[in-house]
Amino acid sequence: MGQLLAFGRFEVGRLVRSWKFLVITVGFPVTFYMLFLGNRRAGEVIGGTVPWRVYLMVSMCSFGALVAALTAGGGRLSTERASGWSRQLRVTPLPAWSYVTTKVSATMLVILPVIVLVDVVGATFGGVELSAGTWLSLTVVMWLTALPFAVLGVFIGFMVTAETAFPVVTALMFVLGYFGGLFNPVAGMPAALRAAAHVLPSFHHASIGLALVDGHGLTATNWLVLVGYAALLALAIMVKHRTEEARGIS
Amino acid sequence: MRLRRQTSEPNTGRLRVRGLGGLALRFDEVTHRYGSHPALDGLSLEVARGETVALLGPNGAGKSTTISHVLGLLKPHSGSVEVLGVAPRRAVAEGRVGAMLQTGSGSGLPPGVKVSATLRLARRLYRDPAPFDLTVERAGIGHLLDRQTQRLSGGQAQSVRFALAIAGNPELVFLDEPTAAMDVAGRRSFWQMIRQFRNEGRTIVFATHHLEEADQVADRVVVINRGRVVADGPGASLKASVTARRLRFVCQHPLEGAFDLLDGVTEVEVRGLGVTLDSFDADATVRALVRSHVAFTDLEVTGGGLEDAFVALTQRGPALSGGAR
Repeated sequence: MGQLLAFGRFEVGRLVRSWKFLVITVGFPVTFYMLFLGNRRAGEVIGGTVPWRVYLMVSMCSFGALVAALTAGGGRLSTERASGWSRQLRVTPLPAWSYVTTKVSATMLVILPVIVLVDVVGATFGGVELSAGTWLSLTVVMWLTALPFAVLGVFIGFMVTAETAFPVVTALMFVLGYFGGLFNPVAGMPAALRAAAHVLPSFHHASIGLALVDGHGLTATNWLVLVGYAALLALAIMVKHRTEEARGIS
Repeated sequence: MRLRRQTSEPNTGRLRVRGLGGLALRFDEVTHRYGSHPALDGLSLEVARGETVALLGPNGAGKSTTISHVLGLLKPHSGSVEVLGVAPRRAVAEGRVGAMLQTGSGSGLPPGVKVSATLRLARRLYRDPAPFDLTVERAGIGHLLDRQTQRLSGGQAQSVRFALAIAGNPELVFLDEPTAAMDVAGRRSFWQMIRQFRNEGRTIVFATHHLEEADQVADRVVVINRGRVVADGPGASLKASVTARRLRFVCQHPLEGAFDLLDGVTEVEVRGLGVTLDSFDADATVRALVRSHVAFTDLEVTGGGLEDAFVALTQRGPALSGGAR
């Protein structure tokens, strides 16, 4: 337990000190929010429920969480693996599961300020008005349900090399963002794309936020898909880790 | 610095006295394949506690694969490995083993953090770490503590990685080509420190390309080739075991076929008028050469150093028909 805490503190310390990385990660979805806001009338009702300014804010919370997870988990982890540091850790008493858990937790920690900042920009710049309770539950729920993104980020970090990390992370960001309806509502898309959106975690993550805001309550499907993604990806990380152990790569 | 764990460990039936009794390392007929290529081919090796052992061998001989097995990073396809009397992963999890691995082009250190923070973390991962200041002094990294890890030179990063390897106060230390990026002075002080470390009763196993390092630092040199131990003994006895010599001379009409049949000759090379013969019995070859009435001049016989012993050991033997690596 002492090991886990020590490693957690070390990781968080490293993240906080890399403030340039954090500024870019946090700034990205906020910039997108301001750019996209003018694409439609802010008050245009999307899918018969919420106005565009709210839809986009929730979408950018999802997108921001995704970006943070993929860059913090994926990009940074692949560089670290390339440097040989994770291999060095494998020959210390730190258990492998502690390493993975800490990486996922640290990624979750980066996601929270991103979501908060998008909310703040939505409330000020975007003119979104919600009750205090809704703001709070929206932020907390969006954050906690971003777990599959964090696991995805760490999974990508395990899969890619430092050279392939950038294209893979960028591609995933835009595939999950665009086809998950985060830039444009899926309602306006062709039937095939609408169907495709339903298998993406990004779509379900944003759907949970939207359901919260428009008072529809929570849909079991959204949660099930997200839990499924988190579980599958966690399993994939374990399998990957074990095969690496057998082959001696790290 | 005493090794506290040696007295506090539960009794495993092995005598835990410094440098005596019990094996630090035992490889029993270990085989490991990468695809169809056998990296380890029935490798057997024992290292006693307190010994300093050099693993020597050409690239791809199986040195790093051996170290990966010791650390439990690889599992043998057949055979067994024991480290300090237990399974490798357990010895690592108990913090009794320290290791410095090869890192390729990377520094082996976490980017974006100071050296001091990295060392502090490493200590906290072990139950019974060595004092911070002592580790800093041993690795000679006092002047690097405030540096960011990504701003270190190759040799400096290597020293820091050594500090991480010994931070846990390990009984057994593995070093995979520890001085590869160090300059001459760095190398000298490094081995100085290793000697001192050994005198405390710790077991040290290191892989190297540098023959003189192996000869000067290790109690025992283990030569590995093609995944097997081909020689094992003190550097001096390895040198003595090899009688291979090289004969060079000039000959006006060199005919390659004529030299093959001379006594003791294992290899013939003719370049212009220059002839080079490798022989396992130089005396017999010279006598045969004289008897053959070949007109030769400028005869020169060389060989007999550790380097020649190494070349001879890794190039002969039934496993190596054809001689090419």
